[in-house]
Amino acid sequence: MKQVVLLNVNDAEHELLLDPSRTLLEVLRESLGLTGTKEVCLLGSCGACTVLVDDRPVLACLTLASACQGKRVLTIEGLRQGERLHPLQQAFIDKGAVQCGFCTPGMIMAGKALLDRNPQPTPEEAREAIAGNLCRCTGYQQIVEAIVAAPAVEQAARTPVADGGQYLMPDMAE
Amino acid sequence: MQPLPKFEYREPESVAEAARLLAEFGSRAKLIGGGTDLVPSMRQGLFAPACVISLQRIAGLRGIAWEEGAGLRIGALTTLREVEASTEARARFPFLAAAAREVGSPQLREMGTVGGNLCLDTRCRYYNQSEDWQDCVEACVKRGGEFCKASPNGRARKCFAVFSADLATALVAAGARVTLQSAGGARTIDLADYYTGDGASPHAAKPGEVLTEVLVPGRMQGVFGTYLKYRVRQAIDYPIAGVALTLRARDGRVHDARMIVGGVASRPLVVKAVPELLEGRVLDEPLVESAARLARKAATPLANTAGDRAHRRQMVYEFARRALAQAAAHAAVATGEKGAR
Ligand SMILES: Cc1cc2nc3c(=O)[nH]c(=O)nc-3n(C[C@H](O)[C@H](O)[C@H](O)COP(=O)(O)OP(=O)(O)OC[C@H]3O[C@@H](n4cnc5c(N)ncnc54)[C@H](O)[C@@H]3O)c2cc1C
Ligand code: SF4
Repeated sequence: MKQVVLLNVNDAEHELLLDPSRTLLEVLRESLGLTGTKEVCLLGSCGACTVLVDDRPVLACLTLASACQGKRVLTIEGLRQGERLHPLQQAFIDKGAVQCGFCTPGMIMAGKALLDRNPQPTPEEAREAIAGNLCRCTGYQQIVEAIVAAPAVEQAARTPVADGGQYLMPDMAE
Repeated sequence: MQPLPKFEYREPESVAEAARLLAEFGSRAKLIGGGTDLVPSMRQGLFAPACVISLQRIAGLRGIAWEEGAGLRIGALTTLREVEASTEARARFPFLAAAAREVGSPQLREMGTVGGNLCLDTRCRYYNQSEDWQDCVEACVKRGGEFCKASPNGRARKCFAVFSADLATALVAAGARVTLQSAGGARTIDLADYYTGDGASPHAAKPGEVLTEVLVPGRMQGVFGTYLKYRVRQAIDYPIAGVALTLRARDGRVHDARMIVGGVASRPLVVKAVPELLEGRVLDEPLVESAARLARKAATPLANTAGDRAHRRQMVYEFARRALAQAAAHAAVATGEKGAR
């Protein structure tokens, strides 16, 4: 029997009529058109569907949408800050942490969860945070570097630059 | 995407109400904590409950508290991440916090609950497979068929699927007790007795019972404890073998040792011969070797998870040996009456 479920996704309220067997992943992708969250293993083994629910990184493929009533869901689509990318997204670009891109949204959400708790993570802590996210292209190194670099990207974004254009990456000077 | 089988979904706000729902739906109901075990199983068509009863709105089920005279109480709905991060758990029973941290991945520990870990279903490579895969083979004992596919001649009529919960294995070594509540009342039993050893029906819960709490007895504080896990990758994977060891060291001698092995039997395997061997003795090299061999002898897994049988047994030996070596190093320096830290 379908139930009315109120979902807050990326700060927008949605009222949905859902069968309780629908997972958060299905609802994000198929009902709300938020296809940034990826569908891969559907068994909790790959991390590609990682989203934040009340700031905690969880697997959307194993989460029942009905169980998210009254909670805040954040997906990759909700990260950008106005016209700007989130510093972690920018760091992924700057560090070449994206190849095929399929694991990227999950990686970024797992990385964001870490940065929210620990704004200056070490490479070791970054590795731990993405231990549940599989990537078949990059070898992880650039992803770890991007997570570690994100605070500097944020700092740079806050510092106005003279020409008013793109901010400078700290190690672009190298 | 392959949808989950349809079910009714309830979120009772008290254990009493959950128990009432369980009584109403009987075997057609399934409890859900974090869902990290149940949902994949439903996805693979292993369960198609008529009703899924979530425990998430029951406030009293979540949290960790130290109670003088009793011990460390951990609510069933407490997440593994909360155990791993708990200052109480880390200060009093660091090996339990460490065992929680060994589970799956960060996301699975954020979602997975202590209750779900203790009630984890047993696993087998002939069972945890997609519906398509299962459609091609005859059902085994755990799926209601006649024979066990993992048994050497394929003719055993018993299921040997393995119990692989990391925290549960460590909690058995910690002498934990669990409270089970039903519409008829509550009972508290040793966690070790919660496991039947039958892969097809691994838990001793009576119909309608909710596991509400686990208690680590206060007298276990200060005991040496360790949990060492062997798996293919350093994350995500279930244990191929997990060895938990607790003991008290007094004047360099060992007392009240317990060794429990996960991932090789349908229950947390209690290596009974180890306490007998170690009691009152100095844990030197030869004794470590003998005790580790006892662990290997006790572990008799079938070919039903990653790694062949001989390898799994050898790893039980190896990880038992490492755990015992840690204990020996601890015993060598622990001289205090209570065998402190
Ligand atoms: C890819 C993957 C890897 C994993 N790796 C590991 C690992 O390495 N080690 C490990 O230990 N686990 C592992 N797990 C399993 C799981 O994440 C954890 O064991 C977790 O603690 C299970 O808790 P849960 O709340 O998610 O369980 P659920 O799925 O909610 O429940 C599991 C079972 O317990 C029952 N149940 C739940 N709560 C109660 C209760 N309070 N009373 C009575 N019955 C209850 C449910 O009905 C269900 O049958 C893994 C899972 C996945 C998907
Ligand atoms: S141990 Fe045997 S009966 Fe049990 S799940 Fe595996 S094949 Fe089936």
